[in-house]
Amino acid sequence: MKILKSIWRFIKSFVLFWKDFLVGDSPELALGVLIILGVAYWLHNSGVWDVVAIVMLALILMVVTVWRKTRVHR
Amino acid sequence: MFTGSEILLIITVMAASAVEAVEALTIIMASGITHGWRSTWEGASVAFFALAAVVGVLGTTIIHHVDIDVLRVIVGTLLLIFGMQWLTKAILRSSGFKAMHDEVRIYEKEVEELKKEKHIRHGKRDSIAFVVSFKGVFLEGMEVVMIVISFGLSNGNDYNRLKYAALGAAIAIAVIAVIGAIVAKPLAKVPENTLKLGVGIILVSFGMFWMGEGAGVKWPMSDVFILILAVIIAATTFGLIGYFKRLHNLMQHEVHLL
Repeated sequence: MKILKSIWRFIKSFVLFWKDFLVGDSPELALGVLIILGVAYWLHNSGVWDVVAIVMLALILMVVTVWRKTRVHR
Repeated sequence: MFTGSEILLIITVMAASAVEAVEALTIIMASGITHGWRSTWEGASVAFFALAAVVGVLGTTIIHHVDIDVLRVIVGTLLLIFGMQWLTKAILRSSGFKAMHDEVRIYEKEVEELKKEKHIRHGKRDSIAFVVSFKGVFLEGMEVVMIVISFGLSNGNDYNRLKYAALGAAIAIAVIAVIGAIVAKPLAKVPENTLKLGVGIILVSFGMFWMGEGAGVKWPMSDVFILILAVIIAATTFGLIGYFKRLHNLMQHEVHLL
């Protein structure tokens, strides 16, 4: 039982470390990047649209994230 | 001789590592001054070798066992996430919405907190100093490790890129360590925000490119398109800084009028 608890504690802290490392205080960024990845896979045979979509989505993600963070101060 | 892409790789990793090394140095100094240097250096050294082992083991394992397209998607996604995090923070700092990273203030706060901690000794080792410097170096260094691995493995099973990326990180860490040892105080004059801004633009550009390539996107003009991406991202970044700086100044003005 004690071993199981230690293993569980280790797994929990491992997951929390990586969540904090990759997501941190900007969950919208991690989610947004995953959406861009999905769109890249979805449109990868569509000629120039995949390039346009990836670039536009990345820029929108940047603007939205900064906008959201500044809203706290407004 | 190095190719243009390899030089860019080394410079990017050096800049990213320098930023993190400055932050780790602040923690090491606070720990060394309050709890003694011996355990502080032991903690920092163990963390450094642990990080080097992660690069060696993870890097070589990935090179041998992961398909190049899958690798590019993972590398691109990680770089895009890190790059966006660095870039948005740098934009907020440059526009005044977030306080600039002040190493002196962080150092003073850290020293104050560490002074309150009791000296817990195991033989000649001070546990607090060991743990604080180990955690500081390991956590700050993990981001560098991810950048080294991502940039180093972007061409699949090309060991040279991984070596160059590790070399860039090692040079930056050595330079910061030597300067830190000479001046014996936190390096407040390193333009951390400018470095973060520059590195952020490069990470986002490479991240988008590799993530797209791994997903099957055919970029026009091949690798040259990374430069175009960098110009687009840089223009947007400076546009956002200009807009939010004006907004921040306007808000300050309104507060004064009230």
